[in-house]
Amino acid sequence: MDTVLAQAVINGLLLGGVYTAYSAGFSLIFGVMGVVNLAHGELIMLGAFTSYWLFDFFKLDPYLSAPFAMVFLFIFGYLVQKHIINRVIGQPHIMSYILTFGLHLMVANIAIKMWTQDFRTITTSYSGANAAILGLNIPYARLITFIVALLVTWGLWFFLMKTETGRAIRATAQDKEVARLMGVDIRNIYAITFGLGAAITGLSGAVMSPFVIISPEMGLEYTIIAFCVVVLGGMGYMPGALVGGLVLGVAQSLAATYLNAGASVAITFIVLFVMLVIRPAGILGKGSVA
Amino acid sequence: MNFKTDKIILAVFLIISAALAFLPSFVKSEYLLRLIAVVILWIGLAGCWNMMSGYTGYIDFGPVVYFGIGSYVVAIAMTKYGIPFFPSLALAGLVSAITAFFIGIPTLRLKGAYFAIATFAFAEAMKQITLEFDRTFSVSFFQGSDGITLPISGYDNTFFFYCIFPVTFLVILAHYFIEHSKFGYGLKAIKEAETAAEISGVNTTLIKLRAYVTSAFFLGLFGAIEAYWITYITPSDVFNVQKTVQMVIMTLLGGMGTFLGPVVGAAFLTLISEALGTRFVEYYLIMIGAIIIVAILIMPSGIIGTLKIRKKLRFI
Repeated sequence: MDTVLAQAVINGLLLGGVYTAYSAGFSLIFGVMGVVNLAHGELIMLGAFTSYWLFDFFKLDPYLSAPFAMVFLFIFGYLVQKHIINRVIGQPHIMSYILTFGLHLMVANIAIKMWTQDFRTITTSYSGANAAILGLNIPYARLITFIVALLVTWGLWFFLMKTETGRAIRATAQDKEVARLMGVDIRNIYAITFGLGAAITGLSGAVMSPFVIISPEMGLEYTIIAFCVVVLGGMGYMPGALVGGLVLGVAQSLAATYLNAGASVAITFIVLFVMLVIRPAGILGKGSVA
Repeated sequence: MNFKTDKIILAVFLIISAALAFLPSFVKSEYLLRLIAVVILWIGLAGCWNMMSGYTGYIDFGPVVYFGIGSYVVAIAMTKYGIPFFPSLALAGLVSAITAFFIGIPTLRLKGAYFAIATFAFAEAMKQITLEFDRTFSVSFFQGSDGITLPISGYDNTFFFYCIFPVTFLVILAHYFIEHSKFGYGLKAIKEAETAAEISGVNTTLIKLRAYVTSAFFLGLFGAIEAYWITYITPSDVFNVQKTVQMVIMTLLGGMGTFLGPVVGAAFLTLISEALGTRFVEYYLIMIGAIIIVAILIMPSGIIGTLKIRKKLRFI
């Protein structure tokens, strides 16, 4: 295997890890509530900003601020679901798209108002540091994000499978009426689910903050990538985010290496479109099909 | 299908349209005329979206792609092949419609969020292709992010008013015929219960495809007219997802699947943007976000939709 190809694949896998980290929450929210959350990117933005400000004021390392981002976004997500999105559950899907799009506009623009449109970066002692193995470069920050992505996917799976709340969430996703009859407080479960999705998304935002450009307007493009990742892996199928993220990451990295960066974006959307048409349940075929 | 109130509503609509047709001779301010033309353009665009998504409930999240195709067809036909504006305009509508036909066949089988995402992906893919085609294949056709400058028309806003107005008029008039035809009942049946409609003998795929292609044809015309009006287009402008969002929000505010919904919604949002956008530039998008959220929460059927339910009207 030649070095260029090997490096492209490594880059793709690391990129895929980043994608997985921030797409898992999107998949969870869709899987349980059928809500396509167009404000997803804003959750990442808020996570990244939490870590930015903690770094700016207290010189707190971005990885140490991750738990704060998680708690903050859990509360944010819980309240948003409880007071806003819960009101349109059961109505046609379009309502949730438009509602979350309204949220996207509000959150992004309030953030611009508060923090200006400046691009910000966090420069730590290990920024830009690489591990060189067999002539291949592996940036530490991305490697850590990759590991976090694996932990998040595993943790989410563990939570859903092994805890009482997780069981209630799964039951609600399968049949909310029956779950209600079994004594599950649906609205509360929805709020917890959104909070959980927001928390892991905020966590990934914080973990990504050492190597991405942070700005109030960063959200939308992340939302779009999360879309692609989740469709590739299968909507609502949790481990799918990992598969989708890695496949998309490698595909984009190969396209960027052998064609050009712009073509890799075109390929993303072509893959997304073709995938939906020929295999809407995702690569593994385990996603939900409406 | 002979309902008296429907005829009255149609008559009022026709009279107002006829009056509007003479507007340019009375409006002396170029700014005002341009604003009116923009409002009418948006009414038409929202109408195109309503025609397909409003009636069937299939949420098309990529209508802008046909607008963009229209813009590019007219730009390339005029600059590269020297075809005059009106033949290029017809070509733009045609190319959009044909593209919609071939894209519609596979995508209209998808349901719910999947259809929405597929149409969105197609629109974004087209944007990226027009952006990157030239660089990837080393040719000069779409001219990528440099954009294309169209021949300066030399026409004033009055000319473009008379280009946009008839198209919008046709789009809204088409709504009347949709609501008073078997085709329209078919579309509504798809929204209510697609499987049941299919069992009752409605060829749902064909009906959806017809609505999709028709809406694409008109979107192509609008795209072409706007390109000639503005004279400079780039992929990021004409394929901008913001345009899709605006069509959706306007229709939703007015009332999905209603005759006057797109008219009211588009006029309301364009005028409010004009009023707020100039005065409160910094808070404008926050306010639009808030308006959207409040509208969805308190008035999910939109202005006309709510009126329709309250007054128990069958058609408005």
